[in-house]
Amino acid sequence: MRSRLRVTPRGFSGPAVRFGVPAAALIVALMFGAIILTIAGNDPFEAYRTMFDASLNGWNAIARTLALATPLILTGLAAAVAFQMRVYNIGGEGQLYLGAIAASWVGLALPSTTPMVLTLAAMIVAGAIAGALWALLAAIPKAYFNADEIITTLMLNFVALSLMNWLIFGSRSFWRDPRRPVPGGKRLTENAIMPSISGRMHIGIIIAVVAAILLWWVLRKTSWGFQVRTIGDSPRAARYAGMSVRVKTMAVLALSGALAAIAGVTEVSGITKGLEPIALTTNIGFTGIIVAVVARSNPLGVVPVSVFLAAIATSGSRLQSIGINVQVVLLLQGLIFLTVTAGEFFVTNRVSLSGSVKAATADGPSEIAEATA
Amino acid sequence: MNDTVLVLSIASAVVAATPILFAALGEIITNRSGVMNLGIEGMMLVGAVIGFWAGNETGSLTIALLIGGLAGTGLALVHAVLAVTLRVDQTVSGLSLVIVGSGLSSFIGTSGEPSLLSARNGVDVTPLLPSALRDLPAVGPILFGHDAVVYVGLLAVAAATYVLNRTPQGLALRAVGEDPAAADSAGISVVRMRYIATAVGGFGAGVGGAYLTVAIVGTWQNGLTAGIGWIAVALVILAGWRPWLAVAGALAFGGLNGLGFTLQLAQVNVPSDFLKMMPFIAAYLVVIMVSASPNRARRLAAPAALAQPYSREDR
Repeated sequence: MRSRLRVTPRGFSGPAVRFGVPAAALIVALMFGAIILTIAGNDPFEAYRTMFDASLNGWNAIARTLALATPLILTGLAAAVAFQMRVYNIGGEGQLYLGAIAASWVGLALPSTTPMVLTLAAMIVAGAIAGALWALLAAIPKAYFNADEIITTLMLNFVALSLMNWLIFGSRSFWRDPRRPVPGGKRLTENAIMPSISGRMHIGIIIAVVAAILLWWVLRKTSWGFQVRTIGDSPRAARYAGMSVRVKTMAVLALSGALAAIAGVTEVSGITKGLEPIALTTNIGFTGIIVAVVARSNPLGVVPVSVFLAAIATSGSRLQSIGINVQVVLLLQGLIFLTVTAGEFFVTNRVSLSGSVKAATADGPSEIAEATA
Repeated sequence: MNDTVLVLSIASAVVAATPILFAALGEIITNRSGVMNLGIEGMMLVGAVIGFWAGNETGSLTIALLIGGLAGTGLALVHAVLAVTLRVDQTVSGLSLVIVGSGLSSFIGTSGEPSLLSARNGVDVTPLLPSALRDLPAVGPILFGHDAVVYVGLLAVAAATYVLNRTPQGLALRAVGEDPAAADSAGISVVRMRYIATAVGGFGAGVGGAYLTVAIVGTWQNGLTAGIGWIAVALVILAGWRPWLAVAGALAFGGLNGLGFTLQLAQVNVPSDFLKMMPFIAAYLVVIMVSASPNRARRLAAPAALAQPYSREDR
């Protein structure tokens, strides 16, 4: 008897499928990671146990993980809101740098006697505006000429990186501390630093979680959010219904840029405490895209996914101390991205093993593989 | 006159253009079959590190480039499984391969004692043509002074143009990229064609990456390609998916990449950070200009089924 794999599209994917498939994909990614670690001569169980201990076991570890999850939630939201409209903002990295540049400028320029609440609010607003404007450099050509936003947002990342490097390493700018022998940013005064909650974890985590809830509410409960999602599903139908796709494209990309930039604000204010290009270039913008894909663009899903990916990233230094290549962190993130992307197929299609060929052809499914059983 | 700033900088632009050209040519072939592969940067990185390793082990430029190319092919085939067989979003799939390629290359490049980070280049890259030609004024260094790979790149462009436009296989590949349903009806296997085109594209990216480490930079660093793969993706749009135009574009970007070197020779003082921005600003502007171009033929040059998964049931 021959049995075949049958593939039938699912009309509707229930929550068990929508959450179960990405969860299974995470496990598959960790298994691939274990294989690679074994090939590299490491004990994968020891590696994963160390990663768990370093990131989630105990309050100090959790605080470290949440400190790293803070900007990831924000860049994850940035990617997610654009995905909701089927627009790809790959520029989170550059928008984050612009947010950091603008926020540190405000933080340094305001007198140190300015109340903390005012200073931090001004930094967030300035960062958000800078990120939104930077995103508009890609959004306007997208809205008016349909210029591919994937390429334009990505190119702007490299421009933003060089700009930030120039401010600290290539010039005697306002941001650079002239007294330091090794080029670095001027240190922010206390009123411009987000207070710590525990260790490295600072109040930015609250800002990030509030942003996630707000974004969920806007997308799910307002007519603006409904329009954005409609455009994502079918731009033509949306245009027939009288929605302005052009204005929404610009608005959504500006919002996306602002969110990514706020990640730059929380990093510069809560972690680096000055414009420090090397400490700010840790792939947070790009990782946000992984977060959004794994969370299936759901703002509330972004929070736990960010914590999970932050847990992997934060354990890198501990891995190094037991002789495991720290680059496995980036590799694991990539594998998770890959398996979750592949998993999308199983969210939208039902794959089953059928006993007889006749039954398979009767309802007209396709055959992607066949095996003799 | 062969060591004047102008001659030296044009000659260096030709060399800098070569990895971009290989990657862009591969992407053109992939795109013409209807598959969008945004993972070029990741494939170049993996090709770069594996090619560098192979060059170190064997001392052979040919083997370094072949092994680097095969590494790129391996990663491209993962993209083919996701994009062609599983029909997932090709943008997301491509981006995931950028991260995988970047993580994998950094992992390989920093593994082992001593790692490739401290390895010296094992390959001697020598000019192909005799010194009589190389020493000709101006044209010598610019046209005749390069290693064999530069000329192989041009041959590959000629071959790709011929295969795409003048052979039944090329016609089949383009048909699959323009109208897969019609191609399928005509008995062409859409899946097989797209797998082959994606694999060839990955090979081009891998060779480009290997050439970068072995022949140009001569060392391995994590993230060594620094955006060259993305430049190649943008270049494909600029070239309107035509191989010969990609040569011109690659030369222009090669020139921009070498601009710092040129200006240094000319003793013009521009901050290096601004020089690093130049290729990316140019790519940004070019993509917008192509999209805004009133020339419809130019805007419509993209293969009609680009980035659209094909499923027989949805016909």
